[in-house]
Amino acid sequence: MPDTELEILKGIDLEIKAGETVAIVGASGSGKSTLLGLLAGLDEPSEGEVWIDDAELGALSEDQRAQLRGDRVGFVFQSFQLLPSLTALENVMLPAELAGADDAASQAQRFLGRVGLSERLDHYPRQLSGGEQQRVAIARAFASSPDLLFADEPTGNLDTATGAHVIDLLFELNVETGTTLVLVTHEHRLAERCDRILKLDAGRLVT
Amino acid sequence: MRILRIGLRQLQRDWRGGELGVLLGALIVAVAMVSGISSFTSQLQANLEQESHRFLAADLVLRSPRDVPPEWLEEAASRDLSVARTLSFPSMLAAGENLRLASVKAVSSSYPLRGDLIVSEQPFGLSFVADSGPEPGAIWLDSRFFPLLDVAIGDTVEIGDVVLEVTAAVRSEPDRASNFSSYGPRAMLHVDDIARSGVVQPGSRVDYRFLFAGTPDVVAEYSSWLEARIEPSHRLLDVASGEPRVAQSLERAESFLLLAGSLGVVLAGVAIALAARRFSERHFDHVAILKSLGATSPQISLLYFTSLLALGLVATMCGWLLGWVIQQTFLSIFADYLPDLADGAGARPLIISGLTGLMCLLCFAWPPLRRLGGVSPLRVLRRDLPQEHARGIGDFLIGLAAISLLMLWYSGDAALTIAVLVGILTALITVGGLALLMLRGGREAGMRAGSIWRLALSGLQRRGRENAVQIVIFSLAIMLLLVLLLVRTSLVEEWQVQLPEGTPNHFMVNIAPGDERPIGQLLDKNDVPREPLYPMVRGRITHIGEDQLADRQPANDSVMDWELNMTWAEELPPGNKITAGDWWQSNPEHPRVSIESEAARGLNIQLGEFITFRIGALDLVAEVTSLRELDWESMQPNFYVIFEPGALDGYPSTYMTSFYLSADQKLFLNDLIRAHPTVTVIEMDVVIDQIKSIIDQVTRAIELVLVIIMIAGSLVLAAGVQSSLDLRLQEGAIVRTLGGSRRLILGSLVIEFVALGVMAGILATVGAEFAVYFLQTEVLDMEYRLHPALWFLGPLGGALLIGGVGVASCRKVVDSPPALILREI
Repeated sequence: MPDTELEILKGIDLEIKAGETVAIVGASGSGKSTLLGLLAGLDEPSEGEVWIDDAELGALSEDQRAQLRGDRVGFVFQSFQLLPSLTALENVMLPAELAGADDAASQAQRFLGRVGLSERLDHYPRQLSGGEQQRVAIARAFASSPDLLFADEPTGNLDTATGAHVIDLLFELNVETGTTLVLVTHEHRLAERCDRILKLDAGRLVT
Repeated sequence: MRILRIGLRQLQRDWRGGELGVLLGALIVAVAMVSGISSFTSQLQANLEQESHRFLAADLVLRSPRDVPPEWLEEAASRDLSVARTLSFPSMLAAGENLRLASVKAVSSSYPLRGDLIVSEQPFGLSFVADSGPEPGAIWLDSRFFPLLDVAIGDTVEIGDVVLEVTAAVRSEPDRASNFSSYGPRAMLHVDDIARSGVVQPGSRVDYRFLFAGTPDVVAEYSSWLEARIEPSHRLLDVASGEPRVAQSLERAESFLLLAGSLGVVLAGVAIALAARRFSERHFDHVAILKSLGATSPQISLLYFTSLLALGLVATMCGWLLGWVIQQTFLSIFADYLPDLADGAGARPLIISGLTGLMCLLCFAWPPLRRLGGVSPLRVLRRDLPQEHARGIGDFLIGLAAISLLMLWYSGDAALTIAVLVGILTALITVGGLALLMLRGGREAGMRAGSIWRLALSGLQRRGRENAVQIVIFSLAIMLLLVLLLVRTSLVEEWQVQLPEGTPNHFMVNIAPGDERPIGQLLDKNDVPREPLYPMVRGRITHIGEDQLADRQPANDSVMDWELNMTWAEELPPGNKITAGDWWQSNPEHPRVSIESEAARGLNIQLGEFITFRIGALDLVAEVTSLRELDWESMQPNFYVIFEPGALDGYPSTYMTSFYLSADQKLFLNDLIRAHPTVTVIEMDVVIDQIKSIIDQVTRAIELVLVIIMIAGSLVLAAGVQSSLDLRLQEGAIVRTLGGSRRLILGSLVIEFVALGVMAGILATVGAEFAVYFLQTEVLDMEYRLHPALWFLGPLGGALLIGGVGVASCRKVVDSPPALILREI
């Protein structure tokens, strides 16, 4: 589509404070995931700025943003996004290893224990259920002690009961670590557990 | 280090998942083929060189009509060269009442310096290698000489004033074939006996040869030292001038092997590039995850580069091992011919093939993997993100450059490399265009057909561009296979045609006028197949136009300086081809002559020039009215100079012919020579047998290479099919969830792949015909003709191969539940 420009997000002015928990809700195609991608520095806005503390993401190179993600940001995804070639333990160790940390293993074991998977350290993702995989993903997200945690429809691929259990874990860990949490969801029950709800409609915030 | 570990884990996992098979296989094939072929050809080359020395019995030979200054030989000795002397001349041998003309060769004790002198303790007995020639006082005779002279081992014969004891039968000597004056049965004695015999007087026609051998650079230095001192009547013979007749066959085989090897690497390179591309595509999501977790582009690049190196290391090891097996197989095929070279060709082939592997990795596999560093982390949120292929024109150019460099490096032949590259490029462009046209036509046909066909052909059309690329790749692979198959077949056929059963293996010259009829009858009566009897007049060229011969003669050309065998003929002899002028046509004012074209070029002889010949004591001036090409390999009597009938009337002439004797007819020569003692028989049967056995061996080696190339070709096909597998799996799964039956999907897959195969096969056939035409006419110097069988074989083979490989790879579509497939992709 060379000539028509598609505006996905427009006029978003938003500040999230440290330690806050925020839910972004909206219909499918309203721009939730795009907003999340921008906030997390996975994507660049065509116009406008995104700041994390005193860093303007647009002014950073992709590799600088990657470093920033590694240092300060954690993710939980709808489709878990574990590396199939690595065990649960190795998956959780990965961010610390990429950052060059030495105590990757002990930290990873601690968090896997915290999400109740001490017995499954050496299992590969395909040997784990969906709920277990998402718990591994949560352990991985917290293992690097991020300041900011982004969760994209974390229960989207899970049945209700499992989903609820995963969400409980997510919020528990969030409280324990005092992480800022930004959550994309279309489940109102989940959104209501957050401090603030941002509603997106056709790319605009409607609060 | 951690990155490396992650990389290795990933490789392990990919290996178990079957992702790496084609990539690794293609790398191994590339390395194995190059190391196997290059170590074999380097041994073959070394052997050819040695063989050439063997045919000279030395590394360097100085030929002279008389003795040379002793300082020349002292100089050679002072340079640490081994020196030997031989004198050859015809002389009478006497044993009691019997007198026979012998072709005498007197040799010094160190003869031969290269190659083997074969003797036996009894005539026609068990032969073995002699350490040196006969001692002073002894004489060795050709087996056939024993009945002619009626002597046995231990008897004595006289030559001139000396009496010598017959101590052995001489069976073959290394430099006999290259010496055309070695007529008649051989008698070999020690050079010290010559002076006592008194048979060599000033003015005797003797061929003196001084043989030198040593390390190549010393020989070369001495050769130039000699060159500055020799007189016009001296000739220096080295490897080039002493090349054996087998050399051409072997050289052709070698260039075929190198060509096949480079094409094999091209195939392997294509397979590697395809497989790497798929590998890269399947790792986009991995990389996105890693990046979302904080991995930077350099980290990603490092991760994949180290993985690739690890893969390359494994492939190189396996490739070397397989290459060693190939080389050993070659050597065992050539065991008769390469007896003393079985101990490897050193590290060079390992280095060449290792570098080839590395180059394949860097130029074919790395470009698609390099792009992984640029994958957007946003893919973790949006998997539908377009896969950022910078549509590979850069990759293609890198690959092309790599292929050109590799081919140039292997073949050392810029013309061949450019020819093959231009061929491949032309084929790519033409085939690509035709493929798109065919796909469009197929779609239109499909709309009018049933649902299976519609599904299949619309599939072809929908993925038009990908399919066009696939057809191009498939047809390139099939084309290369067909080209090699065709070239191999015609090489082998040509060799067999060149030396069919019953190729003349003996020449008979010096047949006196009046003897030609009885000799012809004698041969026919004994069922000896023979060529016609050609009249022969010996003479030499003295002037060309107004110029002396020497003024026209290039420094190192010896052909025209010696006495020439000349003939006359009414009809152009078989195997001769006129390249300029006419065979005798209108009424002449002068005698007319036809000259062999190479010799004419060497002496700068033009049509219409007059040449003065000295025949005996008479001069004959003739006008050059045609130039001819000759087939020197044909083993038929060939003449540099042919006169028109009548021009040589009144000049002293003899006759010559060639004929075929099987091994068990060999004793017939004795009857022949007893009945016609003046004729001279030149035996070529040993040389011809040798050529034939080498041709057999070369044929087998070429077949082995062909098998390896087939493997490389199949890897390309597999890689090509796999590259579109994900898309096909996905579509198949969707059709099945919509209620499509197994039969419908399988049927449409079969049709789709078979159609691809047929199209690729047709295009490959066209391409192969062009390529073979070019290769045969321009590179291998052979005749070209169309190959009707190919037009059937190409499309059929394409359909079977691609249909088979494709359907086998896609069985998963119909055999596993659609949901599983949709989730996996």
